[in-house]
Amino acid sequence: MSYQAANPLSEEFSLELSGPLAGYWLAFLRVVTGWWFFHAGVTKLIEDGLSYSYAPIYLQGMEGTALGPLPVWMGNNLGWLIEAMVPLGETLIGLGLLFGVLVRLASVFGAFFMTLFWVGNASFGHGLVNGDLMGLLLFGTMIVFATGRYYGLDAIIERTKFVKNRPRLRYLLG
Amino acid sequence: MTQTLNTIDKAAMAVSGFLMVLGIAVLGIVEILAGEPYGAAAVEQTNEAGEVVNTIYPAVDPTIRTGLVILGLVILLLWGIYKVTSPIPGEEQARTTEVPSD
Repeated sequence: MSYQAANPLSEEFSLELSGPLAGYWLAFLRVVTGWWFFHAGVTKLIEDGLSYSYAPIYLQGMEGTALGPLPVWMGNNLGWLIEAMVPLGETLIGLGLLFGVLVRLASVFGAFFMTLFWVGNASFGHGLVNGDLMGLLLFGTMIVFATGRYYGLDAIIERTKFVKNRPRLRYLLG
Repeated sequence: MTQTLNTIDKAAMAVSGFLMVLGIAVLGIVEILAGEPYGAAAVEQTNEAGEVVNTIYPAVDPTIRTGLVILGLVILLLWGIYKVTSPIPGEEQARTTEVPSD
């Protein structure tokens, strides 16, 4: 088996986006990320229903962050909405990624969640790059590579006449 | 849906990338060069009794660093909204091909 030192990606296990390994890996990343959020959301739903009371408390504690007064204001004034939307949102984002439906749209919301977790959870004792930032980057990866197109239902949805006539929808699918 | 990058696309990519790398890596190097603490958070030094005797703060406030990253993310979000709302070349053509010829 020949091996090109100049271009190790040129062999049959090419990592080009059109290659089989890239699609397999992107789909795997999407499913694991989806399971991560689905598990987080559905277990909250099982335990607390749509009244996850810790969510607004968490936001109220986010004083002095780079997000300014926004999270504290949300915790104080939108508590009823936050209590429902955190478990519901996590579950729906997770389902979207697991099945590959509206992956880009779901990932935008996932990135929003992860931004709040990254800024709110961490004391950054081991530096700025931590698991929460990596989670945030994972959602960015879902958006950039449109991972729903790999073994996901978005690949089928995007072939429908409805989407073909509205190509802008592919920014939310994929 | 292959499109070439226009000026707004290039600017969004450049500015957001610059801000995020500045917040994460460049200011991280500044912190390392500035000495302890090497993490991005304040470190409390305690005596043998466990009392806090001194607090060492990072050279760059993590709020500034996270703020730069968040600003980069906001630019990416605004760019995404711009892309979703701006017309796509060939979109009208796609719609017109839907009309039956007879």
